[in-house]
Amino acid sequence: MSDTVLSLDAVEKVFPNGVRGLAPVDLTVRAGEFVSLIGPSGCGKSTLLKLIANLHGPSAGSLRWWGSDFRGVGQKGRRLAFVFQDATLMPWANVGRNVRLPLDLMGVDRASGDARARTALARVGLGHAAERYPAQLSGGMRMRVSIARALVTEPDLLLMDEPFGALDEFTRNRLDEEMARLCYQDGLTTLFVTHALHEAAFLSSNVMVMAAHPGRIHARYAIDRTIVRDEAFRLSERFAEISRELAVLLEAASHESHLAAEMQT
Amino acid sequence: MRSAQAISILAPVLLGIVVLALWQGACRLWHIPPYLMPSPSDIAAALWHDGPALLHALLSTLEVTFAALAAAVIGGVLVAFLLVQSPLIERCLMPYVVIMQVTPIVAIAPLIIILVKTTPVALTLCAALIAIFPVISNTLQGLRSVDPDLAAYFRMYKASRLQTLFRLRVPSALPMFMAGLRIATGLSLVGAVVAEFVAGTGGNSAGLAYEILQSGFQMDIPRMFAALFLITVAGLALYGATAGLQRAVLRHRA
Ligand SMILES: Nc1ncnc2c1ncn2[C@@H]1O[C@H](COP(=O)(O)OP(=O)(O)OP(=O)(O)O)[C@@H](O)[C@H]1O
Ligand SMILES: [Mg+2]
Repeated sequence: MSDTVLSLDAVEKVFPNGVRGLAPVDLTVRAGEFVSLIGPSGCGKSTLLKLIANLHGPSAGSLRWWGSDFRGVGQKGRRLAFVFQDATLMPWANVGRNVRLPLDLMGVDRASGDARARTALARVGLGHAAERYPAQLSGGMRMRVSIARALVTEPDLLLMDEPFGALDEFTRNRLDEEMARLCYQDGLTTLFVTHALHEAAFLSSNVMVMAAHPGRIHARYAIDRTIVRDEAFRLSERFAEISRELAVLLEAASHESHLAAEMQT
Repeated sequence: MRSAQAISILAPVLLGIVVLALWQGACRLWHIPPYLMPSPSDIAAALWHDGPALLHALLSTLEVTFAALAAAVIGGVLVAFLLVQSPLIERCLMPYVVIMQVTPIVAIAPLIIILVKTTPVALTLCAALIAIFPVISNTLQGLRSVDPDLAAYFRMYKASRLQTLFRLRVPSALPMFMAGLRIATGLSLVGAVVAEFVAGTGGNSAGLAYEILQSGFQMDIPRMFAALFLITVAGLALYGATAGLQRAVLRHRA
């Protein structure tokens, strides 16, 4: 299919120390989808995301990015961007230079790099902060800079590993709303790891509920894409219903993970 | 806030004045001869009287100090860069770095002074050997203290070795390096004085250590204290300068 961004076919990961990070996983992500990975700690969410970012390779199975192998990424304008759990900014560089970093590494010239960095910063509401240094920013602002650094490359697939886990509820909700805009209005395909059920319920078009020992996808849950993800949605009956259904799935996944862990010992 | 700051400056100054006054009073009261324990006023007089000669000696010591510091920084940084290149290089070299660190340089200073004919070079070499270890170990630790996520980020964008070095490793190493530099600056001065003691060189390029030795032989104890005072002032100035440099270089970091 032409709008398939990512397809995983029976992808497994066994670590050198013998730990089974992932049992065979099948996953397809289509353009414009917001896919969340939720599940108990140790169920392989980060492992899966790093496989997709090609930060390590699978032990078995195959991954396809836009229908070809990883060498195709970066060509024909097909780009990945990764946002980590921490903002991972360079403390010695100001916000503007931090955002420009991927462009610098790609060899984009200074002037157009600066212009694109300004645009990206404006998209996350930090147009005024280019001259400031990471140490002078709040945690939420640092995370925004990190998102701007991902957006500056105009990625076709954004990977985020628990990006807002360290933030307070209020800041997190604001950033969730911004993420929803980026995906549902600007069409940015996103793969999002989170511990927080309400975050997955708010943002996702597709939720993958994962279980551990070994890591696998326990259940898949789709949410209507046409819902407008705003403050009103958070208070709606529909949101509460989605959260409830996800809670049931997550509970079952956790239960299975515990059973599997006991079986192993 | 302001008054707390004022107290933190005033209190030690006051304490110093009180101690000096007690010292002066005690020397007067019990008529302690200056060759046993000079009073602060004796030392001040010696400082005034022998000032030019002592300053000349101080400059000579500082020359050795700065040359040694430069050598230690350049050598230490080079060694650290070499060590992080490959685990094999590190495994080969590290034991020798450690051996060098645990050997008291004072003990091999006489050997260096015999082997190296040019005295200033020998002095500099001794002092540099004393100062180099914190540069090596701190730079090494700094080069290794790269945030693994940031390193992964650089790999993801296929950064070249050179880009990774100058945009990631060097800036990441800077805080540890600056701390090492601060220690090395103090040690360079210590090293210069120690080397001068061992060499015992007089003449035109005599350092403060020589002045202290000479004053001891001549029982000119106030002059000895005056020389000591100058070394301390020099040490404080160096400490302040490196602390300021450290703050300036790292000013934007948390
Ligand atoms: N490099 C590694 N070597 C060995 N085992 C690993 C490695 N990385 C992860 N694991 C193991 O693989 C399993 C999955 O880890 P992963 O980090 O993907 O979990 P996660 O779902 O992201 O958990 P969390 O929610 O706590 O971040 C865990 O049991 C973990 O201990
Ligand atoms: Mg994780």
